[in-house]
Amino acid sequence: MQTASARKINSIIHLILIISAIAMLVPFIWMVLTSLKTTTEATQIPIRYFPDTPSLRGYTEAIRQSAFPHYYMNTILTAIMKTVFPVIFSSMAAYAFARLRFPGSSFLFALIISVMMVPNPVFYTPQYMMMSDLGLVNTVTALWITSLISPFATFLLRQFFLGISKELEEASVLDGCNPFQIYWHIMLPLVKSALVAIVIIQLQWAWNELQWPLIINSSPEKMTLSSGIATLVSMFGTDYPVLMAGAFMAVVPMIVLFFIFQKQFIEGIAFSAHKG
Amino acid sequence: MITLNSRSRYVWAYLMITPTLLGTLIFWGWPVLQSILLGFQRSENFGLVNHWVGLDNYVKLFNDGEFWQNLRNTLTYVVLFVPVTLVLSTLFAVLLNTKIKGLSVYRVIFFLPQVTMPAAAAMVWVVLFAKDFGLINHILGTKVAWLSNPHYAMLVLVIVGVWGAIGLNMLLILAGLQGIPKSLYEAAEIDGAKRFNKFRYITVPMLTPTLFFTSIILLIGATQIFDSIYLIIGKTNVALPAVRSLVYAYYQNTFVYFNPNYGAAIINILLFINIILTGIQFALQKKWVIYD
Repeated sequence: MQTASARKINSIIHLILIISAIAMLVPFIWMVLTSLKTTTEATQIPIRYFPDTPSLRGYTEAIRQSAFPHYYMNTILTAIMKTVFPVIFSSMAAYAFARLRFPGSSFLFALIISVMMVPNPVFYTPQYMMMSDLGLVNTVTALWITSLISPFATFLLRQFFLGISKELEEASVLDGCNPFQIYWHIMLPLVKSALVAIVIIQLQWAWNELQWPLIINSSPEKMTLSSGIATLVSMFGTDYPVLMAGAFMAVVPMIVLFFIFQKQFIEGIAFSAHKG
Repeated sequence: MITLNSRSRYVWAYLMITPTLLGTLIFWGWPVLQSILLGFQRSENFGLVNHWVGLDNYVKLFNDGEFWQNLRNTLTYVVLFVPVTLVLSTLFAVLLNTKIKGLSVYRVIFFLPQVTMPAAAAMVWVVLFAKDFGLINHILGTKVAWLSNPHYAMLVLVIVGVWGAIGLNMLLILAGLQGIPKSLYEAAEIDGAKRFNKFRYITVPMLTPTLFFTSIILLIGATQIFDSIYLIIGKTNVALPAVRSLVYAYYQNTFVYFNPNYGAAIINILLFINIILTGIQFALQKKWVIYD
């Protein structure tokens, strides 16, 4: 009797999960379907689920008529810069804050962490003025130069370093290693999984960010995919297949990356939250 | 303990934190001070020449009906979005915490919106919520102008927001659930506790630290809503006044009307609100969060 009721509960759980999962997926399915339709099919009444003869016109138009190749290059470059530097700098700082006691360390750590509480737009006007003084408005450099560090990554990595046994580094101190050598040769390899997770999180943030690219660069050749997609609307209005094709091309790299690294991605986030 | 003499250890420590510290001070610390100053100034040529005007910007702001409307919109979004996201994320986390088939598939599907570019997702939501050819009206059998009707626009933003936020928060809560010691449930089962009572008296209390952490992140994020308003509602939409947030108003005043001082005043209010909200949460934390 108990197994029967347990089975009943199990199938209710499955039903709820399946319906919700489909609801979560609808936007992706609709994006792909619409991108393959003709302009008339996309807005036809009554509604059409599938295109008659799937066409790639949306994709070719989006690439041909906008600065799409530029958006791609700018986004890739920006994402790399906003990932490599923060990860290097943060892991260094995180190691120092976790393992080397020095005067002012808790104050300086609190100072860096407190930045996480400030709404990002608070920074934008002064950063814009800074970029303007340096003559960097409408340059690709401006897209990443303000984000070479990450308090979030510093905080997270410090948590990981705190969890590592002290004995390992004590042995290397006796061998005459300096703190940087210990960090580089011993500690970094030990937090490799955390580094992978942070690399992916940083990449995803950089790839998807909208507001700063929108503010700092207005010429199409200097836009990212995010701000570029936003301007496609004014170029293509209601040509929904082109808009959907552009949207699809913009999300594909991150989704592919997610499927490849989904284990590290999900566990990295879950694990760090658990430690925090 | 580390035997390296302390002075050389300090030098290494300071060297290793220097990039992060300098970056923080230059790109974030200094801008915060600048933003606060801008709120008390009137600028010519976008901050090139500044005159001190005291509280003028704030007086103007507080006498501006639009500001209060924007503040109300922002808080409405927060009040609708945060609890709905928390409840649904908890529900899915609890369901996925059972020994169910296909767990990792569900985990991946729910998390997918999190890695999706908001700008791209917004495009498809516009199509889904379209009045005549939109899938949502088609399924519901309605003819609602979701995006241009002031009564529904906020609802759309909340739905889109929740869709994007469930995955990450579900994951954080799932991690919290899996951290609850199994022995607690076993002890309760010996005492003959029912399913619901186990949830009420073990799961919920043990989960409060995670829920606290999640709600803070959600709250701070929600007060900054901008992307979906900019992309889904748009600047010419008649429903814009019903959903325009403080960050949207900041963006508009600063970078469309080129009034960085009025924009700074708006965004400084949000900074102030966030400090208060975080303070309240930390004060309340003592009342409801149970740490073992």
